[in-house]
Parts: sequence; structure tokens; C-alpha cells
Amino acid sequence: MKKLTASRGQVLYLRRRLANFAFILLSLAAALFGLIWLGFILYALVKNGITALSPRLFSQDTAPPGSPGGLANAIYGSFVMSMLAVLAGAPIGLLGGTYLAEYSRTSRSAHALSFVVRFINDILLSAPSIVTGLFIYEFVVVPMGHFSGLAGALSLMVIVIPVVARTTENMLLLVPDGLREAAAALGAPRNFIVKTITWKAAKAGIITGILLAVARISGETAPLLFTALNNQFMSLNIARPAASLPVVIFQYALSPYQDWHDLAWAGAFLVTATVLTLSIIARILDKKRT
Amino acid sequence: MNATALEPRDAPAPTSSGNAKIDIRNLSFHYGATRALKNISVPLREYKVTAFIGPSGCGKSTLLRAVNRIFELYPNQRAEGEIFMDGEDILKAADVNLLRARIGMVFQKPTPFPMSIYNNIAYGIKLYERLPRSELDGRIEDALKRAALWSEVKDKLNTSGLSLSGGQQQRLCIARSIATRPEVILMDEPCSALDPISTAKIEELIGELAADYTIVIVTHNMQQASRASDYTVFMYLGELVEYGETEKIFTAPGKKQTEQYITGRFG
Repeated sequence: MKKLTASRGQVLYLRRRLANFAFILLSLAAALFGLIWLGFILYALVKNGITALSPRLFSQDTAPPGSPGGLANAIYGSFVMSMLAVLAGAPIGLLGGTYLAEYSRTSRSAHALSFVVRFINDILLSAPSIVTGLFIYEFVVVPMGHFSGLAGALSLMVIVIPVVARTTENMLLLVPDGLREAAAALGAPRNFIVKTITWKAAKAGIITGILLAVARISGETAPLLFTALNNQFMSLNIARPAASLPVVIFQYALSPYQDWHDLAWAGAFLVTATVLTLSIIARILDKKRT
Repeated sequence: MNATALEPRDAPAPTSSGNAKIDIRNLSFHYGATRALKNISVPLREYKVTAFIGPSGCGKSTLLRAVNRIFELYPNQRAEGEIFMDGEDILKAADVNLLRARIGMVFQKPTPFPMSIYNNIAYGIKLYERLPRSELDGRIEDALKRAALWSEVKDKLNTSGLSLSGGQQQRLCIARSIATRPEVILMDEPCSALDPISTAKIEELIGELAADYTIVIVTHNMQQASRASDYTVFMYLGELVEYGETEKIFTAPGKKQTEQYITGRFG
């Protein structure tokens, strides 16, 4: 009798080990499947992008096919629009996320409001970015009468806000309540506690969120198509249409000209390198936090 | 207040006589629909240490957290009744922050702020006082000395408060709460996360601080209550069972439940 139960235990154990092995194998296969495509993309990008890299990318504007040109206007446009979007969007997202994390529990009505805000924020977070472009087109481009870098920046800002709000809320919720209680017990008002204690404790995480938002918008094409459109020349006036890397890549990649194709590869390489760098910095900051 | 009646009354009945710094009267407390405290009345005497003891969930921490209204950080918690400090009802005080500045609090887990040792102490002082640097330095040194931490940290005031050991962090938190010169110090199981040596240091500290402050300490540890306090409140299931001089509670308790608890028969 005793022997029987022992062998049954062994069978069970063996089955579990087999199941475990099969599960690991499946997980590995799934991970490899994803990584292979990523590897192909990066390989093609580096191979075609590096050969097309040259100083004139940064010094010359986009040019008609056949004549020598670069991406200076597109790089500048992308940089300015992304910076404006983050400068305007990050503070709004930061304050929104702070409200959700710090003030939602102060009263019943704040709790209800936070529920609604969080729900809308989630929708914004996952909304197709072309919808954002259409929204800004309707509310900014049409009244202005023309496309502009400003409209492009606003459109990107709408993408930045929910990303920053969400990460800010999550990072603030990780700050232990004991710190808030300790500061409150000294007689510190709530806004002062947020400013001096909780923001400070969550700083690395919040900055990570902002960097990820920059990474997210630097590759966005759809929201710029209806807003900033494009510009063949360097435009320092944000009230005029502005070029951007993603839109130029889109336009050049679809063209029949080889020199435009090369520029598109170079642009794609630049965007990818930027996003990768930002993600790595964000990762390092995130590690430092924990 | 009648300052001549220094001797405590040994009856559990509430009293506003004697030198009660804080007088809790008919206090009930609710977490949502759950009633956690039932008509508690007890005085907390000036320049004395009062210990709250009782099994887990008896409401001793809840009672402590009502005194500086820290529970108001959370919705769905409310207190009914009266808590008088120097004759003024705390629960009706208009400005809760000014009230809390007069009542220090030390928590179960050490809660150093993510900043330097110096700034941890300066934080509370700067909330309500503008001091020249030299005076601020003096206040910080004084607070750290009183918390028996000065000799260990005087050469590294600019390092993070988080770099200290658990026992040091807790003494830093005590220094932080006395630096603002409160009148009352509330301690919520201040030694439960500490080793015996740190615990002994903090108990010794409590005795010294009682010369200048009214101290209330919640503890799970009955030896600690008997060693460190002058008065003891025994609570059970949200009710006050017995209040009296610590010596009397531990040698000749008036109630059967108190006796059973202090002799370790339950809780």
C-alpha cells in the first residue's frame, strides 16, 4: 500500500516536470518568434541606414529627387514639435497623475471624479493616434486655415498627456503612505507634502515616464499628417507647416526614387536610434529607483 | 486646570481633573460602517508617559491616531466625541495642520524622508519657523542630542537619512518630531521593528523626554509598558477596560480581563 502511494507520487512529479519543460519550451519559442522579426527589422535598418548616413543629412534640407539633399528641416521640425509637445504636455500629465494618486482619496466626490478621469485617460492612452490628428485638424487646423508646426505639436501633446499621467500616478502610488503620514504629522499641508516628499521620492520614476513619452511621440506619423503636414524647406515659424522625420520617411519610402529611399532609411535609422537611447536611459533610471 | 491634584485617580472613570494635557471624552471611531472604538474616555497626563496596551485589533492605534487627526488623510474614517487639549476640542479645531504641529508622532516603521539627515530634521522646523542658519543648526544639533543620535551622525549630516540603520532611523524620526518643539508626542509601537539594543535606547529616551513632553505610547510589549510608562490604558475590542497607574495595573489590576491579559492568558 505504501509503495503504491509512493509510485503514484513519483508519476505525478514526473508529469509536473514534463509539463514544466513543455511550458518553458513554448515560452522560449514565443519569445524567439518575436525577437526574430525585431532582429530582421533592426538588421535591415542598420544595413541600409548606416550606408545612407552622412553629414549632409544634418546640414541640408530635403531636396527634389536627383539633386543632393538632407533631412535638416525634418530633424529640426521633429525636434521642435516633440519638445513643445513635452514642455506643454508633461506638466499637465504630471499634475493630472498627481491628482489621481494624491487627491482622489480625500473625499467621495474626488474619488468619483478620479474614476472618470482615469477611465478617460485609459481611453486616450490606447486611442489610435490618427484620431488625435483628426481632432487637432478639426479644432486647430481648420480655424487657422492652414497646417502648422504648432498644430503638430498640439497633436503630439495629446499623446504625451495620458502617458505621463499614468506613469506619474503609478510611481506616486508606490511611495509608502508612511511618508505622507509622517510629513502630515509634522503639520505639513497636503500640497506641501506632495511638493517636498512624494514627488521627490518618485522622481526617477516620473522622469522615466516623461522619457518614454518622448520616445513614443518621436516615431508618430499619423497625428502629424493632418496637422503639421510637411515642408520642403527649413521653417523656423511654428505657425507654418513643418517637416518631421516620420512624415518624410513615409513620403520618401513611397516614392520611386533611389536617393529618396536612401534618405528614408537614414531617417528611420535616426528615429530608431533616438527611441532606443531614450528607452535605455529610462531603463537605467528605473533600475536606480528600485 | 487644577494643578495641585498631581496624583492620578486609580478609577477607570474619565476625569478632567488633575493635570490632564489631553482629555478624551466619549470617543467613538468608525472605519466605514465598522465601529472600532466605543465611548472611550481617558485623560493623558502632562509630563507623564501613558501606554496603550491590548491585543491586536483592540483599537489602541486607532485611539492614538485620533489624537492628531491623522486618520483624516483617509476617507471613510471618522471620530465622534471630544478630545480636549488644554481645554480646546481637537476634533473641532479649525486648522488641523497647526494642531499637528503641536503634537509630534513617531510611527511603527521608521519613516525617514528621502533627503539628508540635516534636512530630515530641518523639514518640520522650517514649516512654521524662519530661522537664521546658525540658530537652525543649533536646533538640529539639540534635537539629535536629545534623541541620542548626535554622536553617531554629527560627521555625516549631509548623507541621506535612508543610509542609517533601522534603530538610527527611528531615533532620527524621534529627533524630527521633537525638533519642532511639540507639546505632546504620540508613539505608535515605535520599537516593534527594532532589535533589543535599539529598543532599550529608545525606552531610555522616552523616560528622559517625559520631563518636557506629554508622551503616549502604543505597545504590544507588556514589559515595555511596565518599564517605560507611568499610566496604562488596557483596551479590548474597542473598549477601555481599565486605566490607572502602571504599577497598579501590573501588580493589582482591578479587572479580571486585565489580569488575564497581563499574565499572558490571552492576546
